[in-house]
Amino acid sequence: MADLRTVVLGRKDVQDLDRDDELPNELMTINMGPSHPAMHGTIRMVLTVDGETVVNTDIQPGYLHRCFEKESEHATYTQIFPYTDRLNYISPMINNVGYAMAVEKLMGITGDIPKRAEYIRVIVSEISRITDHLTCVGASAMELGGFTPFLYFLKAREWFFEILEELSGARLTYSYVRIGGVVKDLTDDFADKTEAIFQKLEKIMVEVETMLNKNRIFYGRMDKVGGYSPEKAVAMGLSGPCLRACGVDYDLRKDVPYSIYNELDFDVPTGTTGDCLDRYLIRLEEIRQSMRMVRQCFKQIPDGSHIIDDPRVAMPGKKEAYNTIEAMIRHFKHVVDGIKVPPGEAYTAVEGGNGELGFFIVSNGTGQPWKVYCRAPSFVNLQTVPDLIIGGLISDIVPIFGMINMIGGECDK
Amino acid sequence: MTEAAPEQKAEETVTVTVDGENVSCPPGIPLIEAIRMMERDVSAFCYHPGLKIVAVCRQCLVSIEGSPKLVPACQAVVKDGMVVHTLDENSMDARRQMLEFTLVNHPIDCPICDKAGECTLQSLYFDNNNKPSRVDVPKVKKKKAVDLGPHIVLDQERCILCTRCIRVCDEVAEEHQLEMANRGDHEELDVAPGAQLDNPYSLNTVDVCPVGALTAKDFRFTLRAWELMTTPSVCQGCSTGCNIEVHHRDERAWRIVPRHNPSVNGHWMCDEGRFTYHGLREKRLAGPLLDGMPASWDSSTKKASELLGAILNASRQELGVVLSTQHTNEDNYVLAKLAKELWQLENIYVSGTPSVPDRADGKLMMADVNPNTKGVTEIIGNGAKDLKELSADLEQGKLKGLLVLGHELPTTDEAAQALGKLEALIVVTNKEDGVAKHADVTLPAAAWAEVDGTITNHDGLVQRLYQAYPSMGQAIPAWEGICRLALASDAALSFDDAKSVYNEMKNKVEGFKDSEWGKPVLPVQLRFANSRG
Repeated sequence: MADLRTVVLGRKDVQDLDRDDELPNELMTINMGPSHPAMHGTIRMVLTVDGETVVNTDIQPGYLHRCFEKESEHATYTQIFPYTDRLNYISPMINNVGYAMAVEKLMGITGDIPKRAEYIRVIVSEISRITDHLTCVGASAMELGGFTPFLYFLKAREWFFEILEELSGARLTYSYVRIGGVVKDLTDDFADKTEAIFQKLEKIMVEVETMLNKNRIFYGRMDKVGGYSPEKAVAMGLSGPCLRACGVDYDLRKDVPYSIYNELDFDVPTGTTGDCLDRYLIRLEEIRQSMRMVRQCFKQIPDGSHIIDDPRVAMPGKKEAYNTIEAMIRHFKHVVDGIKVPPGEAYTAVEGGNGELGFFIVSNGTGQPWKVYCRAPSFVNLQTVPDLIIGGLISDIVPIFGMINMIGGECDK
Repeated sequence: MTEAAPEQKAEETVTVTVDGENVSCPPGIPLIEAIRMMERDVSAFCYHPGLKIVAVCRQCLVSIEGSPKLVPACQAVVKDGMVVHTLDENSMDARRQMLEFTLVNHPIDCPICDKAGECTLQSLYFDNNNKPSRVDVPKVKKKKAVDLGPHIVLDQERCILCTRCIRVCDEVAEEHQLEMANRGDHEELDVAPGAQLDNPYSLNTVDVCPVGALTAKDFRFTLRAWELMTTPSVCQGCSTGCNIEVHHRDERAWRIVPRHNPSVNGHWMCDEGRFTYHGLREKRLAGPLLDGMPASWDSSTKKASELLGAILNASRQELGVVLSTQHTNEDNYVLAKLAKELWQLENIYVSGTPSVPDRADGKLMMADVNPNTKGVTEIIGNGAKDLKELSADLEQGKLKGLLVLGHELPTTDEAAQALGKLEALIVVTNKEDGVAKHADVTLPAAAWAEVDGTITNHDGLVQRLYQAYPSMGQAIPAWEGICRLALASDAALSFDDAKSVYNEMKNKVEGFKDSEWGKPVLPVQLRFANSRG
């Protein structure tokens, strides 16, 4: 291996210093992570530092690898939903929706999903986006020393988890979406409860912004740290809030509208410099936009079925399954053999908490996918991290990495 | 139609157009076969490629251009230029409606039905109709759990009246034991009063039953079908060598079903052969025994080589080796090589279960109940002595030591007493039974479902066994055990795997010249194997 010192510093040893009066510059290799209180996930960074300055880094993800893609080849299409929950586990609903949309595209039933189901999907997706951003902002503030915003936001996140638990039965791993719709309808008081939480959240956000935005420490460590140019961001495949912070107005919900997003009125906030402060501000604004969308959805949501009325796709209800042989066979085949998906391949992407979350599925006509590929935004976004942290200080890694918001489960798949 | 077609030449084909695609097929075959040749499937219940065509289920209706009505694809014979539509509205509707009719009185039994998961009715309904029920009248009640005979239980409610079972009895067993009774929605399958479904091929009715109406008492309520793994193999019940699938899970076999091979068994096998899998677990020898006590492989092969070595050094002509017609060609070849080439013994015997003349029925069952008689004969040639000579030699005290493959060694009583007095009796077997009870050293061998290897059926056809699951306990394939014994006795005999034994045997033994080892086959989960239902 070429000597790193020669490569980086243009000199091999302390003896080769140009000026005798300069302090000896010995490079040091240190590990940051995989378990580090200020690391935003289980990931290892091997840093080569020159004093406090990072001169090189080797980022090693994979500690949360669960063989998502390979395991999916051994499960029926429906059995994959619980696996998708574990991708970005802060916003599992969006993963559920993204995966379901890919299978629906493959089956050619995208247009047949009931409107009500689409609305429910958007409602739960946007609530999930809020929980995702709350976690990101709260945790990053904590990593920079602000413990109160963390407690405030995590408390708010818990309220959302509670209503989603009421809806799906699980606090975090919802598995709520199904191919063709969602597993059950919204609870009766879901809209009221959500609205009550929104009102509480709005107050909390004001408080948190007061605490953070003009905070000397927070501002100082976020502003002009980790800036990125829009050209480079596009070239590196950056997406989501981090891309929009660079000034690129690209949001799949607006630019490639899926589901019923074209029926909603919302803005896509963009930044200018792409630094950590922009990323933080954009996330706060997106929380507000998500609340705006959910409120519209509650106004516009039509009555109807929560799942497609196609016996090949939807499981029969328990009453039918126990009382008619037709539904019994259907139920049996759905569980044992899985939904039959015609041969072909399809890619769909949704705007996840961290960017473009895509699923590519190849079917061979059986009840199990031949191949499932997941375009995990965390993984793609992670590749910009070396660019962002090299040349900066070690302490800058904390806000930068916090705002990239790599989620281990999604990145490592 | 008017003239029976004269004998067609092999290269003669007719072309049929199915849904716009052309397919060339031999003349005279049913249209449904031509459609299946295109790897399309038109649903059917009563059609079975091994049985006569009756077209009672009306499930394979298709439109043929020029024909005013829908035609059952099983009964229509291919004609050149025939234009067939299977996916048009008419025939699709007809098939959907037939399925709906079939399900009107079908009980809601899937959760407790043995056929669930390999059920034709389930797959056809899920693939073709899949619409919710429109029936609001109560289902017709019929008898459940009717005891039809020694091996089979009938559930009349589940029966869809396809008559496949009746035809199996008539055509395969050539015994008319099943019959349809009553009419309309009270029509049901039954045996005549006082009669029984007890022909020797009765369990084939369970295989062909497209639903769970006929179930085998042997397999009923043991495992769910979709949880089984399947591995191809060959039946060890007699010298016919019917091709089978071993259905196994958790390192044991749960049932045997026939595998289609037109040159050996067609689609069928006998009931007796199906139960041979029980032998894979009964009285199994799981570890080496030294004077009847458990021992390690090292100490037991060492002891065996000492015992054999004493006789080899003192009086070579008093040591005998027994080959087994119950073991694979590979096992026998290795033992024969040790005896003939390395030890240069004169006394080589061939053992096996005595034949059962009553068993031979001119169909699939043979009198010779040893699966590999022909293979052993080819390996050892004419130099071997039979069991009578072994009994005589033992009675006369000509032998001091014996190395036996397999536990089956039926001898006269006097000879059996002489066996116990031998200076060395070494047995390589998979059962702690028979001659193994008297042995000084018993070495455990893997049973047939646990090994890769070949056996030769009575026609001289070399057929391949595949390993379905790992061997029990410390057992290893018999040829490998013999190699270990040989190495402990300083005889240079060693092979890497069963395939290298086979390759050497193929070069040296005439009967294996034209055979093939075949490609590796791994166990497949039954629901993905597409071999059932």
